[in-house]
Amino acid sequence: MTRHVLRDFLPVVAVATGFVIAWKLLVVIGGYPIFILPPPEVVAARLVAAWRDGTIEPHVVTTLSEILLGFLIGSGLALVTGYALARSRLAERLLSPYLVAAQATPILALAPLIALWFGTGLASKVIICSLIVFFPITVATMVGVRSVDRQLLEVGRAFRATPLQVLTRLEIPGALPAIFGGIRVGATLAVIGAIIGEWAGGESGLGVLINLARGSLFDTPLLFATLVTIAALGVALYWLILVVERRLVGERG
Amino acid sequence: MRLRVALGGLLVVQLLVACGPASSRSTSPLASGSASSPTPLTVGLGYIPSVQFAQFYLAQKAGYYRDAGLQVTFQNKIDPDLVTLVGQGTIDVGISDGTSVIPAVSQGIPVRYVATIYAQFPNVVYAKQASGIKTAADLRGRKLGTPGKYGSSWIMLQALLSSAGLKPSDLDIELYPDFGQGAALAQGAVDAATGFINNEPVQLELSGTPSTVLRVDQAVPLPGNGLIAGATAISNKAPQLRAFIAATLRAMHEIEADPQKGLDAAIAAVPELGQDRRTQLAILKATIGTWSNDYTAAHGAGAIDPSAWAKTVTFMAGLSGSPISGTPPRVPQLVDTSLLPS
Repeated sequence: MTRHVLRDFLPVVAVATGFVIAWKLLVVIGGYPIFILPPPEVVAARLVAAWRDGTIEPHVVTTLSEILLGFLIGSGLALVTGYALARSRLAERLLSPYLVAAQATPILALAPLIALWFGTGLASKVIICSLIVFFPITVATMVGVRSVDRQLLEVGRAFRATPLQVLTRLEIPGALPAIFGGIRVGATLAVIGAIIGEWAGGESGLGVLINLARGSLFDTPLLFATLVTIAALGVALYWLILVVERRLVGERG
Repeated sequence: MRLRVALGGLLVVQLLVACGPASSRSTSPLASGSASSPTPLTVGLGYIPSVQFAQFYLAQKAGYYRDAGLQVTFQNKIDPDLVTLVGQGTIDVGISDGTSVIPAVSQGIPVRYVATIYAQFPNVVYAKQASGIKTAADLRGRKLGTPGKYGSSWIMLQALLSSAGLKPSDLDIELYPDFGQGAALAQGAVDAATGFINNEPVQLELSGTPSTVLRVDQAVPLPGNGLIAGATAISNKAPQLRAFIAATLRAMHEIEADPQKGLDAAIAAVPELGQDRRTQLAILKATIGTWSNDYTAAHGAGAIDPSAWAKTVTFMAGLSGSPISGTPPRVPQLVDTSLLPS
């Protein structure tokens, strides 16, 4: 167990330590003032202070709610759509151009419109998160389902497996590694989607806190502390999915 | 091998230093400026080129900056970026909201407000006359649109409401982060909105809808947009900054006397503005109206009223969720009057 933990976490800690040292050196050698590039210890102190005085916590709760709801809705729709695209050439011919066009449209440009149509509350952020999550999981699901061994499917049918049995016993297990690849990408994109949604309008959330720190408070250490929190959220979500993936798919995932 | 490592290390250090803040590498402009080679001066204006910056365009077009030995380059930036870049020294002088300078200085950003441009605070609350809103007290229970609960409009709104014994919670506030509150007001989605005296109310009037404008100056004399400069620029380029301010104020005087001259200069600099001269002229005239107040009339154009700044610091420090960090800065830490014409 200890060896396993050391093997997994030691390189991560080593890279993080190296990053912090390089950051500190950059500040010292470059002579940057705090309002341009605060040193790591100032950011760490601001992060602790902002958590202690309750500055960050409500914003984290808001952003996390948006991410989770948006991710669940977006990934749910993507799984269904991806499966339909994989199994129906007609669906693929009909939907693919629109899916690609939707993906090519910058979400940054759409976000203010979505905020205008659905208001600046939770709904608009969930929609933006769902949209940003949708494409990678759809494509991953489609590719995953299509990559399931055809011979295996034929054997299943030869043994008179029902469509539900084919789906649950053959297609889903076979497609899971690819699907989880999409889910991992989608989870990190959901964080970005929530922040973009908050930039388009809102009273709370880490995106709002970034705007406040930058545009109203001129508090660069708080800006960095918020960025660190956002990054930590993204990493936590990614690891959570990795744990689930290892349970369901195994180490190869 | 050791030599390679040493050279590599030296290169990295040089790169890091080269990437350092501009202020730490700037050479003395007094040495670089001469009759034959004008001193470069980077000037930050608001985010979008606009007729509101006509005085800068006129001074450039008429050669007032050139005659003062300056080679002026304009950059358009949003307020938060501009304040930081001026503090860093990348931009020598810029036009910024006075209420941004106070939290910026409280965070250690070395900027000073060096000349008043908008002697009257340009952020206002406005409504259609038909709404029946005539004073700040009439806003109670009404629906008001604003971009967000931060920045100069939010500070102005709180000051205006407090003058009538109201708090933001006494209103139904709708947020329009992409500045859609003007359209919302025009469509009747809100009863009142925050805006700029020289923009939304002007456009509403031009569309044939009489408007009521509620100004904050009588309640709290908030410092409007003015020229800010970094501490390094003030110590290294004081004569050039003084010449720049004088040339800009000269252009303002000329535009006050003949707004058409300012409009022509703005259109020459930003040809797109020529598509609707009537609107642009109305915006410019409304802008000119904010350039003076009783204090500048008595002390000269560009004058900075220290008592107004002191009142603003006290007001902002008392706000719940004040943007001021730590001990509120004193007025001498915020303004520098040494660059104004004597």
